[in-house]
Amino acid sequence: MSISFRSGRVRLASVLASSTVALSLLAGCAGGGGTTAAAPSTEPEPTGPVTITFWGWAKGTADVVKAFNDTHTDVKVTFEQIPSGIQGGYTKIANAAKAGNAPDLFNVEYASLPDFVTQGHVADVSSLVSDDLKKKYLPQATELTTLGGKTWALPLDAAPQVFFYRKDIFDKAGVTAPTTWDEYRTAAQKLKAADPNTRIGTFFPDDASPLAAMAWQSGAKWFSTQGDAWKVDINGGDSKNVVDFWQGLVADDLIRLQPSFSQQWTASLQKGETAAYTGAAWGGGVLKGLVPDQGGKWAIAPIPTWDGKPASGMLGGSTFAVSKNSKHAKAALKFAEWATTTPEGIQARIASGASSMFPASPALVPTAKAAFKVDFYGGQDIYSVFIEAGKSIKGNWTWGPAMGTTNTALADGFGKLATGGTLNSAVESAQKATTAELANRGIKVAQ
Amino acid sequence: MTTVATRPDTARAAAPRRRGRPPGHSGAAGVLLAPFMVLFTACTLIPIGYAVHLSLYSERHSGLGFGVAETVFTGFGNYSRALADPAFVSGFANVAKYCALYIPVMIGISLLLALLLDSALAKARHFFQLALFLPHAVPGIIAALIWVYLYAPGISPVLDAMDSMGFQIDILGHPLPAVVNMAAWQWIGYNMVIFYAALQAIPREILEAAEVDGASPLRTALSIKIPLIRASLLTVVMFTVIGALQLFTEPMILQGSAPSVDSSWTPNMYVFTAAFQRNDNGLAAAGSVLLALVAAGLSFAVTRFGRSRAARAEGGMS
Repeated sequence: MSISFRSGRVRLASVLASSTVALSLLAGCAGGGGTTAAAPSTEPEPTGPVTITFWGWAKGTADVVKAFNDTHTDVKVTFEQIPSGIQGGYTKIANAAKAGNAPDLFNVEYASLPDFVTQGHVADVSSLVSDDLKKKYLPQATELTTLGGKTWALPLDAAPQVFFYRKDIFDKAGVTAPTTWDEYRTAAQKLKAADPNTRIGTFFPDDASPLAAMAWQSGAKWFSTQGDAWKVDINGGDSKNVVDFWQGLVADDLIRLQPSFSQQWTASLQKGETAAYTGAAWGGGVLKGLVPDQGGKWAIAPIPTWDGKPASGMLGGSTFAVSKNSKHAKAALKFAEWATTTPEGIQARIASGASSMFPASPALVPTAKAAFKVDFYGGQDIYSVFIEAGKSIKGNWTWGPAMGTTNTALADGFGKLATGGTLNSAVESAQKATTAELANRGIKVAQ
Repeated sequence: MTTVATRPDTARAAAPRRRGRPPGHSGAAGVLLAPFMVLFTACTLIPIGYAVHLSLYSERHSGLGFGVAETVFTGFGNYSRALADPAFVSGFANVAKYCALYIPVMIGISLLLALLLDSALAKARHFFQLALFLPHAVPGIIAALIWVYLYAPGISPVLDAMDSMGFQIDILGHPLPAVVNMAAWQWIGYNMVIFYAALQAIPREILEAAEVDGASPLRTALSIKIPLIRASLLTVVMFTVIGALQLFTEPMILQGSAPSVDSSWTPNMYVFTAAFQRNDNGLAAAGSVLLALVAAGLSFAVTRFGRSRAARAEGGMS
């Protein structure tokens, strides 16, 4: 979070100055919300090399940019590494867009794309993205980058859910990787019985996306459109099953409550007190970076399901979006297309060693598989797990246009879990906050 | 014609007023004030005006919301939304609770330390003054990061040591004392210096008189010293309350490790969330204006209260 806005506690300021600090810090950052539409299709054909700016945080991106710049003369990419979206990256992009100095191209996760589109920060690239190009991506990924019948971004990765677990700890407790959520609960009990300090996993109270992915997997649809109105169903029946299940695990102290990727969580992984992680394909590289000395001890299995049949939601997953006022939409898309659909682009990312993402373009999965070193997973063929998981991603999921509000309401509700709050009240308040926010923005909500 | 006729009149009318002042005085004041006025206008007045302007508008979409938004005038709509939002109001309640816990602890300890330094008992005064002031020299963000590290179970050496002795405390589950502790650590030394300076300014003959009358050091502190530095005490309380209203850094950093700190734990965090998570600049601006009004009102009340008390105290002395 951008700490730099902080004014400092004004000790010796005058009464007037002290009362205005809050105002000036806001106004300084708010910027004009002017939405001047620049039509990307009318740009003149560039002569000579075009330099585009690009902001992103996905692992291995710097290597991709370098590989592109080394092999291309017509487009040069200037890359800036920014914090991940939820950790302040989105704030940075949105502020830059409001101030009129957004990069030409930026990474945005599927879940946040509608938010960025409704704020008017993303260029409509429908006329620049051919049907042939769209066909190169998984249909589920294309679906998520198409909003209101227009194309807004190119998908980088699909993020099928998978289950990471410490094989050695599971073996010691006599547990195998669970295939259903019931087995997950039993495994949690056995692991805890074998060592009272061991938990099977973590509920991240600061992050709403895992619950969304679980709801997606169970067949819920938090958002859908009916004509020109949104239907919001965060507290529906399928979501309730998921909520009750995780609530039970929390109540029985079978999983830990720790913020995502926090010092506490990392420490519990390092000590072997957290024996598994319900994540997504990209987690393979992240986990390897967090606990590099546990090489060979981890394995990856399909995510448990409700009925034992493969099913997955998407946890994260990034896209490349062109900013509204970019004068180089074509050049920016050229790089985005190269980075997402060519073997060279994927190879550069995976070979960095830090990324285990699952390309949204199925043709490139073999490239990714060949490039990722699996010694951390004891030589396991993890991409085969990803491929099966990718096939089982449920279609027809849509992210809402005010995910900032939805996620904030959910995380605020999760924060009360440690002091007697429930997941159920969290989804109820998220439902309420989201519908209220949509109505407030003048967006239609179907009842 | 008329303009020519009026000009000398104005000049004549202005002349007598200037006569009372030393020559060139107003010009010097203007020059000296100009840099302040320019900065004050650019950095304070214009942003306030802009925030007030923002607070009166909202973005409106239509249909699914993917089209271009229009900015519409909503009058006090954003203000009523903020005031009707329990999250905004609960932020003020948290600040009140924070003040109730923090002010007695912080004032009590810094006053005690100042009195000890001031008393004849203290050795190596300069060393303690510097040592106690040092925490204030650490930037708030860095201090908060270090404290969060010390609070986090599984990482904190302090908690580990306590754990091995059989004490288990969940600091992150109790954000209020956690934030109070961070703030107290940072501000005790600073306020102690203010109190110490005020104590040093007490005329020595009064203290000698107390000694001659047989007052114990404790009695001297309670009945002579503390009443005589009341003005400093009030000033510190006022700045602390205003600082508390703007509480942001510590809870924001703490939030990363303590999810019980929600997105609107203090009014400033509510404004931040509205602006940067929910992208609702109108609501954020309205929240800031309300926060500024509360701070201004509170400062006014404390200043008036303090001035009348100080005047009465001075009257009593002479």
